[in-house]
Amino acid sequence: MGIREKGYEHWDGTLMEHRHPWWPITRLGIKLAFRKKSFKFVFAGAFLPAFVFLAGVYVSERIEDFQNMFHSSSSQKFFEVNPAFFRTYFSNDSLLFLMIMIMVFAGAGLIADDLKFNSLQIYFSRPIGKKDYVLGKCAVLLFFLLLLTVVPGLLFIIFKMVFAGSFRFILDYPWLPLSILGYSAFLSIFITLYTLLLSSLNRNRRYVSILIFAVYIFSEILYGIFYERFREQYFSLLSIKSNLQQIAAFFFRVRSPFRVPVVYSFLILTAICLISVAVMRKKIRSVDVIK
Amino acid sequence: MTAVIETRSLSKWYGNVLGLSDVSLSIEPGVIGLLGPNGAGKSTFLKLITGQLKPSIGGARVFGQIIWNNPKLFSRIGFCPEADAFFEDLTGWEFLVNLLRLHGFSGAEAKRRSERTLEIVELVKDKDRLIRAYSRGMRQRLKFAQAIAHDPEVIILDEPMSGLDPLGKRKFIRLIRDYRGEGRTIIVSSHVLPEIEALTKNIILIHQGKILATGDIHDVRELIERHPHIISLRVSDRRRLAGRLVKEDFILDVRFEKRPDTLVIETRQRDKFFSLLPALVLEEQIEVEEITSPDDNLQAVFDYLVGK
Repeated sequence: MGIREKGYEHWDGTLMEHRHPWWPITRLGIKLAFRKKSFKFVFAGAFLPAFVFLAGVYVSERIEDFQNMFHSSSSQKFFEVNPAFFRTYFSNDSLLFLMIMIMVFAGAGLIADDLKFNSLQIYFSRPIGKKDYVLGKCAVLLFFLLLLTVVPGLLFIIFKMVFAGSFRFILDYPWLPLSILGYSAFLSIFITLYTLLLSSLNRNRRYVSILIFAVYIFSEILYGIFYERFREQYFSLLSIKSNLQQIAAFFFRVRSPFRVPVVYSFLILTAICLISVAVMRKKIRSVDVIK
Repeated sequence: MTAVIETRSLSKWYGNVLGLSDVSLSIEPGVIGLLGPNGAGKSTFLKLITGQLKPSIGGARVFGQIIWNNPKLFSRIGFCPEADAFFEDLTGWEFLVNLLRLHGFSGAEAKRRSERTLEIVELVKDKDRLIRAYSRGMRQRLKFAQAIAHDPEVIILDEPMSGLDPLGKRKFIRLIRDYRGEGRTIIVSSHVLPEIEALTKNIILIHQGKILATGDIHDVRELIERHPHIISLRVSDRRRLAGRLVKEDFILDVRFEKRPDTLVIETRQRDKFFSLLPALVLEEQIEVEEITSPDDNLQAVFDYLVGK
């Protein structure tokens, strides 16, 4: 048997650098989401508004062919492709509702499951930091949300130009691609952080799923109740959906749906994002310390 | 030359509760057993030296670098936590591959290493089953697998055999023994003495957040002057041997056991006894069948040190 000298000789190698340490977390999160039948169904369904609006883009260029379908000028106006068209797509009830449903199926367990199964200490005994972990989890949800926002938004512009056979549309609204990118980023980041906030608050995925859905719906109900009672539009600030619609109007340079300064909506949603970051900083740690 | 793990005045409080108090240690390569009862501070110590917890006072260095907030260093450390910590929706295979990807290994390399590690822990047959369907023993082996898959230089195992049946424990002990070569540092914590005894003679005794003793079990034993060694001998003529031994001043007690060939002696100078014994048995032409130290185990040392 060889005799080994006790002690450690300084290692001369270089530690392995991982350029994107968050990527394996994201990859796994996306893979696991697609394993759920319910998620696949909802995710596919979430593209339905995009197809309807894409059809709208086509109809807008063939308006004469569909003349018999329009009985009033207002219905014809609906098929006008302009910034309001984009605002409508990005802040319509169905798209926001489907996004929330995607969060229910793909986002509820992202942190809650790791808390439940003590997986955080397994993550944090690897060469990744807390930032990488959060970034990895965020990227899972951003992937799904950006597929539903940026991709259709830019496709609408491209198809509008293809169907029109000219660049007139983009020349009329050169700022529109930036608005799409800006609002998509804001909307996706907000919904992602909103989901991860709730996911980090509880170990039970089902409970988190209910919370994600209930908080969104309850904020809307609360606004409805107060508005009915006081007829004051400022109560729209209580509703997540209304705040998002206000910001969408700002990004797409159209009239706000509520007579409330858009900065308030921006501040409220940003505050929720900051709370989410603060809660995650506190909740996400390798070892659960019980005092 | 430096120690692999060094701690200086390492202390941790959980609010008002003391987890670990003023621990200064140097740990060198080899298998080291961290021994103490439940709540002694073993897990706290291991979490501190793996950078999972921030020390309240003092610090821990691994390979000469501060471990806290230094995730790059985790590539060289394998940690097997006490509690189950799995992604239950994954198969054993997926679990390992994904953890290896977190270390920065390519997909192909992660798969190759997973395959090799699952072979080591004998889980190849069950690699495609969901972890939630794994038995306790399989889970423990998988936990060990994730700690060794990236080929770390330091392996830290927190109560790796808890909850295993005797057969599972034997398998696990064999697994760690097979793996202890190659100059690695393996720290195994347990509150079950025979588990540690089966793995190593190098121990750290911990109790109420304090290190009671460190070193070879025999060195620790030397510290206990008031607690003599008991040595049992099975010999062909116990009366003759007893007659010679009682004449020696370092022999405190000689007694006969029920078994007709067994003699038990007590001494504080174990080494002196063992250097004298060969000469005695040669002179007296006595055949020695067996020499054992019934109390030369961790239980006796531990009980003594904690004042039981």
